[in-house]
Amino acid sequence: MSAAAVARDTGARLAAADAAGLNATLYWSQELLDAEARRVEALPADSSLHGMPIALKDNIVTTDAPTTCASRILAGYVSPYEATAVTRLRGAGAMVAAKANMDEFAMGSSTEHSAFGRVVHPLDPSRVPGGSSGGSAALVAAGVVPAALGSETGGSVRQPASFCGVVGVKPSYGRVSRFGLVAFGSSLDCISVFGRTVDDAARVLAAMSGHDPLDRTTLDRPSMRRPEPRRDLRGLRIGLPREYFPADLHPGVAAGMERARRATRELGAELVDVSLPHSAFAVPTYYIVAPAEAAANLARYDGVRYGPRRIGAAGGIQALYQATRGEGFGPEVQRRILIGTYVLSAGYYDAYYRKAQRVRKLIADDFRRAFTGGVDLLLTPTTPTPAFRAGEKTGDPVAMYLADVFVCAISLAGLPALSLPVGRSEGLPVGAQLIGPFFEDEAMLAAAAALERALGADAEVR
Amino acid sequence: MSIGRDDVLHVARLAELAVRDEDLPRLVDQLNRIVDYVAQLDRLPAEAAADPQAGESDPDDPFLPGPAQVTLRDDVPGPVPLARPPAEFAPEFAEGFFLVPRHGAMEDL
Amino acid sequence: MAWETVIGLEVHVQLRTRTKMFCGCRTTFGDPPNTHVCPTCLGLPGALPLPNAEAVRLAARGALALGCTVHEISVFARKNYFYPDLPKGYQISQFDQPLATRGRVAFESPERGRIEAGITRLHLEEDAGKLLHDRFPGKTAVDLNRAGTPLAEIVSEPDIRSPAEARAYLTTLRQVLVYAGVSDCSMEQGSLRVDANISIRPPGETALGTKTEVKNLNSFANVERALEAERTRQIGLAETGGRIAQVTLLFDAGAGEVRELRSKEESHDYRYFPDPDLPPLVLAPGWIAEQQAALPELPEARRARLEADYGIPAYDALVLTGEMDLANYFESVVAAGVEAKMAANWVMGDVMSSFNETGGFPVGAPRLAALVTLVRDGVVSHQAARRIYAELAQHPDQDPRAAADRLGLVQVRDQGALSAWVDEVLTAHPGEVARYRSGEAKLMGFFVGQVMKRSQGKADPKGVQPVLHERLSRR
Ligand SMILES: [Mg+2]
Ligand SMILES: [Zn+2]
Repeated sequence: MSAAAVARDTGARLAAADAAGLNATLYWSQELLDAEARRVEALPADSSLHGMPIALKDNIVTTDAPTTCASRILAGYVSPYEATAVTRLRGAGAMVAAKANMDEFAMGSSTEHSAFGRVVHPLDPSRVPGGSSGGSAALVAAGVVPAALGSETGGSVRQPASFCGVVGVKPSYGRVSRFGLVAFGSSLDCISVFGRTVDDAARVLAAMSGHDPLDRTTLDRPSMRRPEPRRDLRGLRIGLPREYFPADLHPGVAAGMERARRATRELGAELVDVSLPHSAFAVPTYYIVAPAEAAANLARYDGVRYGPRRIGAAGGIQALYQATRGEGFGPEVQRRILIGTYVLSAGYYDAYYRKAQRVRKLIADDFRRAFTGGVDLLLTPTTPTPAFRAGEKTGDPVAMYLADVFVCAISLAGLPALSLPVGRSEGLPVGAQLIGPFFEDEAMLAAAAALERALGADAEVR
Repeated sequence: MSIGRDDVLHVARLAELAVRDEDLPRLVDQLNRIVDYVAQLDRLPAEAAADPQAGESDPDDPFLPGPAQVTLRDDVPGPVPLARPPAEFAPEFAEGFFLVPRHGAMEDL
Repeated sequence: MAWETVIGLEVHVQLRTRTKMFCGCRTTFGDPPNTHVCPTCLGLPGALPLPNAEAVRLAARGALALGCTVHEISVFARKNYFYPDLPKGYQISQFDQPLATRGRVAFESPERGRIEAGITRLHLEEDAGKLLHDRFPGKTAVDLNRAGTPLAEIVSEPDIRSPAEARAYLTTLRQVLVYAGVSDCSMEQGSLRVDANISIRPPGETALGTKTEVKNLNSFANVERALEAERTRQIGLAETGGRIAQVTLLFDAGAGEVRELRSKEESHDYRYFPDPDLPPLVLAPGWIAEQQAALPELPEARRARLEADYGIPAYDALVLTGEMDLANYFESVVAAGVEAKMAANWVMGDVMSSFNETGGFPVGAPRLAALVTLVRDGVVSHQAARRIYAELAQHPDQDPRAAADRLGLVQVRDQGALSAWVDEVLTAHPGEVARYRSGEAKLMGFFVGQVMKRSQGKADPKGVQPVLHERLSRR
C-alpha cells in the first residue's frame, strides 16, 4: 500500500474512532497526514518504518500541530522546534498521524485528568484505558494505528498497555532522547512505545533510540537494533519477585499470570523465586520524587513567554502568575505541584526528598542484586486489576496512585520493561510485565517476542 | 506530620498558584492524605534507609538512572533554531520584547 | 562607642565565552532584544540544558587563580523562584556541591596594610534576562538575550572590615580575574556585579550582628559609598536603641542613600535540589592540574617581577600591573629597546591617559619605542615627542620619525642655525645680557627658553647651552 493510501486509510480510522466517542486524539488532520505521505514518498522505500502511521502522545513536540499536554495552560501552543524522537521516526519513514489525548501533563493513571475530556476504553466505554498515555493506548487497541508513542514517568505506558491489551515498551532511561518531551519528572521520564505486536514496538524503539547531543542524560552507547526474535526461552532464568504476587491479586490477573508462567516454562525458561523487598516502598517514593521534579519543571508555565495568559483581578505580575497557573492547571496537576513544592521546602527536604532519594537507591539495588545474582529477566503482573471503571478512583488520589504499584519501581530504577497481553478476564485484557537489566532492552524484547507467539492474546483466562 | 491551611497557602504562594477559598478545605484533606501516605517511608528502619550494605556507598550519593557524569558541549555558536519567532508564540509582544504588567517591586531591581 | 564593621561580598562575573551556559546562543551585549534566544534559554516545553565546556574551564581557572580547591565532583542544582526575567522558573546554579571552595584574595587594606580575605566558594550558574521598566507605559519589557549567560559567583568570607577595604578587595579580585582571562569584569557592561552583606558589632565581639544586603552597586566607588551609608545607618540605629532588621537595601547613587527594598511578606525559600537534567560535573584530577599549570602570571607575582627585573620603583610596578594590558604594553616597550624607567614614565603618562579614555593603545608598543628612542638620541625633545605621540594616536600608521619631520619637530643641532637663534635672542634682550654678565648666572635658563621659543621648540637644548656660554663669555 502506498503512503498516500495509508494516510487516507488512517484518516478514515481516526474519523471513525472520533465518531465512536473514544476521545483518544487531541489533534489530527487529513492535510497533515497527506503532507506526511508526500514527505515519506520521497524517502528510500527500504527505510525501516516506511509509511508507518504513528500517533504521538500530546506531550511530544512537533512544529506542525499543537502540543498541549492536555492542559488549558498550553491550549493552542505550537512548538517552534521538534522533538529528537520525532525527527528520527520521520527520518525512518514514519508518518505522524495524530496527537493523542492523555492525563494532563502525564499526571494520572486513567486518562480522566485531561482538560479535554476522558479517553474511553475501546472495549468497554464505562472503563478507563489506563494512563497517562491512555489516548495512545486506545488508538493502537482500536486498530487506528499500528504503533504510538507514549511517555512513562511511573508506568504510564505499561499500565494502559495492560488495560487495553496491547504491547507497551518502556526503554532503559537514557536510551531515547527526552529533547522535545515535555518534562514531568526528568529523572524518570522516558518516551515509550505502544505496538500491536512486540516487533512493531521494537522497530519504532530502535528507530528513535540512541545518544542525542541535545539530551545530556542519554547514554553514548551503540543504538538499539531491532532484536532478532527468539524461538524459545531455553537457557533463560526468569525471576518471579514474590512481592509482586500478593495474595489479594485480582483473580483474573492471577490467572493471566499463571498462563504466562506456564508458557514461559514450556518455552524452556527456568523460573526462580526472587525478592525485591524495597519495591513495596516504590509508590510512596515515586510520589515524592516525581512531584518534586514536576513542581520545578512546571514553573515555566507562567504566562510570560508562551501559552494563554490570564490577568488576575489585582493586576501586576504576581496576579498574572497566580491566575494563569491557578486557572490553567487542572486539580491533579495542582495537587502534585503543591506536594512537590512542600517536600522540597525549607524544613521538609530531609524528611521527604532526601529520604526518598535514599529509598530510590535501595529499590534500584534490589533489582541490581537480582540481575547480578543470575536472573536474566523478571516476570510480574503489570497491574493489580484489569481496567477499572471511569470515576472509580477519581475521588481519592492515593487509590489512583496504587494502580501503578507494579510499574513504579522499575521507573525509579531506570530499567527497561514491557507489558505484554496474556489473555482476557471477563472480556478485559490482562498484561504481564517483563523487566530486563539496564540497557538490555534488546534481549528483553527478543524474549517477549517468543512469549507473545506462544500466548496469543485473546484467550479468556477466567 | 500534618498539613494545615496555612501550609497549603504558603506552598501555593511559593508555587504561584491561586487557590480559591472554597477549594481550600478539600485541598488540605487531599494533601494530608498524600503526605500521610508517603510518610510510610518512615517505616523503613533508619539504618536501612541510611546504609544498605555497610561500606557500599554513601547513602547520600544520588542514584543516577542515566550517565554517571555530564558531558560538556564545545563553546561553538549554534542554537537549536526556532521555526517561528517569539512574536508568534508570545501572549504579549512589542518591539522585540515580551511584555508583562508592571510590578512595583520589580522597578527597584 | 566604636563599632567594628563586618562585610562579605558576593560577586557575579560573566565568563568570557562565545555561547551561553546551557545553549549554543551567542553571548552578546547590546543587540536587538530577544534575537539570541532558542528553545533552551526561552524555557520552552521539552527543551534541555547543554552545558558549555569553556564556561567550566574558565570558572575552574578563576577558582584556581583565587587559590580555591576545585572539586572533582560538583552538582548543578535548581534554584526555584518566579520572576519574569527567569524563563524556566528556576535558575540552574550550584548549591551544596559547588565547583570550588576555600580560596583567598590578598590585597592592600587602606587601614590594615596587606591582608587576606577568604573566598568561601566559587560556583557556576546562568544569568537571568533583562527587564526594562520605562519603555512601555504600565508594562515591564523582557529581553532574554542575556538569559543563560554563564556566570561565576564568588562569595567571600566576612573578612572585610571597612567600605574602603571592600573596594580594595574588589579591585584586586577584578585584577586577578582579568589576568586569568576569566572575565572582562566590566561593570558598565554588567559583566561584574556586586552584592554586599554588612553588619556591625562591638570590637572584641566574635559573633556576627544582624546583616543587611545592599544591592544595585554599579561601580566600585559606589560599593564604598553605599557601604559607608549603610554602616552609618546601622550605627545610628544601634546607638539610639533601634533594631537592625535583616533586609535587602538598594543604593540610590544620586541621593547617596540606601533604601529598603519593598520587603516580601515571606522569606525566600529556593527549594534547591539537584537538576535531574544534568548528571554530576566530574573533573579529572589531571585536568584540574593542567588548568593550574596553565594559569598565567597573576598580578602579585608580576608586580614583584617588574620591580626585580626592571629595577623600577615599587609604585611604578603597582600602577603598571593595575591593568594587565598596561603591564603587557610596558614590557613590550622595554623589549623594543627602551630603558625601563623611561618606558614606565611614558606608560604611566600619556599612554595611560589614552588607555583610560579608550580602553586601548592607539600607538603600538614598537612605535612608542621608536618615538622614545628619538628622544634618547636627541632627535626630538620630550615636549616634541608628546606632540608626536598625540599625532600618532590620531594617525597610527605614521612612522614617528616621519611624523617628526612632517611636523618640523626634529631638533636642530646645526651650529650655524643655533648661533643665529642665539644671536637674535641676545640682541633682543640687552638688559638680561648685561645682568648675566654682572653675575646673574640663573638667567641662563631664561636665555635657553627664549632660544627654544624662537626656534619653535626645534633647537636641541643640549646644543644651545654651549653656544650661549660661548657668546655670553665674549666681551
Ligand atoms: Mg547567584
Ligand atoms: Zn539559547
